[in-house]
Amino acid sequence: MPPRGSKKAVAAAPRQTLVLDNGGYSIKAGLVSTQASTPPSYDDCTVHPNCIARSVRDKRTYTSSELDKCVDFGELAFRRPVEKGFIVNWEAERAIWEHEFMGGEGLRCNPKEANLLLMEKPNCPKELQKNCDEIVFEQFEFAAYYRCVGPTLNAYHPYDPTETSLSALPQECLLIIDTSYSDTTILPLYQGQLIQSAVRRLAVGGKLLTNYLKELSSLRHYNMMEETYLLNEIKEAVSFVAPSTQAFIKDLDRTWKGRLGDKRELDSTIVVDYVLPDYERSVHGYARPHDPVKSKMRRGLQPLQGPREDLLPLGNERFAVPELIFNPTDIGIKEVGLPQAIMESLANLPEALRIGMLANIVVVGGNSVIPGFMERLEFELRPLVPAGYILGLKKAEDPIRHTWLGAARFASQPELLKNVLVEKAEYDERGSGWLVRKFGGDLK
Amino acid sequence: MPHVELLPNSTSTAAPGWTYVVDTGYDPSKVAINPKDRKRTAARPGGARGENELSARQQTAIARRIAELDRDNDPKQSISVPGKLAAPKTQNARRILQYQRQIKHWLDDEEAQLSQQQQAPIPRATARGSIATAGPRRQSTMASIPPTPSEATPAPPTFAVPAPPKVQGSSMSQEDALLSTASAMPPPLDPAELQALLSAPSLSYAASHVGPPAPGGPPQRQFCDNCGYWGKIKCLRCGARVCGMECKDAHEATRCLKWT
Repeated sequence: MPPRGSKKAVAAAPRQTLVLDNGGYSIKAGLVSTQASTPPSYDDCTVHPNCIARSVRDKRTYTSSELDKCVDFGELAFRRPVEKGFIVNWEAERAIWEHEFMGGEGLRCNPKEANLLLMEKPNCPKELQKNCDEIVFEQFEFAAYYRCVGPTLNAYHPYDPTETSLSALPQECLLIIDTSYSDTTILPLYQGQLIQSAVRRLAVGGKLLTNYLKELSSLRHYNMMEETYLLNEIKEAVSFVAPSTQAFIKDLDRTWKGRLGDKRELDSTIVVDYVLPDYERSVHGYARPHDPVKSKMRRGLQPLQGPREDLLPLGNERFAVPELIFNPTDIGIKEVGLPQAIMESLANLPEALRIGMLANIVVVGGNSVIPGFMERLEFELRPLVPAGYILGLKKAEDPIRHTWLGAARFASQPELLKNVLVEKAEYDERGSGWLVRKFGGDLK
Repeated sequence: MPHVELLPNSTSTAAPGWTYVVDTGYDPSKVAINPKDRKRTAARPGGARGENELSARQQTAIARRIAELDRDNDPKQSISVPGKLAAPKTQNARRILQYQRQIKHWLDDEEAQLSQQQQAPIPRATARGSIATAGPRRQSTMASIPPTPSEATPAPPTFAVPAPPKVQGSSMSQEDALLSTASAMPPPLDPAELQALLSAPSLSYAASHVGPPAPGGPPQRQFCDNCGYWGKIKCLRCGARVCGMECKDAHEATRCLKWT
């Protein structure tokens, strides 16, 4: 039972809500009001890196959005407060939040007069949830707060994007595939509620892909172990998912250099040269089709012509890296690929729900932006699904901010919000152990 | 071989919860055995290692490499928070803000707590959480796994059994049964089962990982250690795969026996 007076406070001051999708790589945040005349849109959301970066070259430290001003990403070292999707280091996270939301620029949110809707990953350790709640109320002193598994709020998107009315929500059956920086999770939702026992997680996320590309490039070409930023940029620029297993085999052949005495010409439709930035004339690199003459020049087999440039040839790295999402065993991770993982998750549901889930799959998260991802997922998933079932597979319109927008739509409806928010006074009275159980659904 | 089992504690290691160790003690019974003799190796209990099985050393190396690829922060470099921040407002906040623990510490804590609660000494979860954590998860999912449609509800076997069997209507009803879609429909949702499903508690982090591929599935694909093409040749010294002579030379010069 809420303490006396708390209801009155809600009625007296309909506050703004800070909707926060606190990802491992980037923070998606925006202020949402319950009284706005228009429903929230992507324009209300700002995306900033969730890190503190230190450059040994210009001896500067960049906090979150300050990275926009950085002009030399060489040997940039990162400190990320979120590990495996959970907020672990509050010292750094606090500095970032204060810089982004409570500083002079950015969102300018006064926590004492705002609600916080914080999204977390599923299966968060209870101790970390408790720390999070304590910091939110005791350090930031938000007026009211709700913490939940972020992707569940995707159920508050209308099925048909042209539909603007929010009355018929949440969707009945929805299967969210969240392929993000930290890992890839599969979340079945029924009426907007997460079916916890069927949540499954695949260890492969964007971070692992970037690190793998970094390792491969360092082994095959230059030592780039300190160039995380650059390799992430290269991954985003050139990688693609082979549309099928057969296509993967074919592409692997086309990018092979051949044997001694039986050299093959590299297929320049796949092999690209990435022109590396030198951070003097250029800050960002770019990819262009492979040119054998240039690579000979690079190795000193031909005299240099034209301006000096450093090239990183990329062949099978382009598709062998994202392939890990579909075949984690390629590097020895003892897990099934994403399509089989989806079926493993659904095996926990009754058949009627399974049919509903398969017809309503929505993919969110940054890895789904990689070209060919959806085609490959459909290609591999279709044979696993019984022939009579409909397979409805959709990529979110904006995979990175989709979850945020779902949450913002949720937060713009006062009656929904009122049911879940916990006031600071109530927390002060009952403590953090109670709050963890409440948000965990153990109290009803 | 001796079986080593790690008991849960607060320190963490990158290794899985168990390992094979090399028995280096003098064992007179093995002196006469020539380890190169494959026939005898195969005849010994346990048999020879299969073509694609990995040695303990290789498994550790792979586990370490994956942990390295999956790491969020480099513990060696510390980046301090710029600027001066106001002092924490409460004791609790101060304590939390000062934590220097990494995620693996929290996850190990969670596992230790879970195994304490169960009282049964289950083996510590590995980082991948595939085998060791199967115990708690299987339990929780077994509870929520719905019975197969046949045993769930004695569903009306044929929807189109007509109540009054008329002389002419019997052939009609058979046709109806053929055309009926009811048998293709799944059994309706049982509200109690659904409620149990929705109110099930969340799994622990380690238990939420998907399982390993089925043993009968296609074998693991092997790639060249150097160039990423198919790894057709196995290096005799370290077991890594290479695609040809050229890559073998590069492998021996840079990687062979250097990743242990």
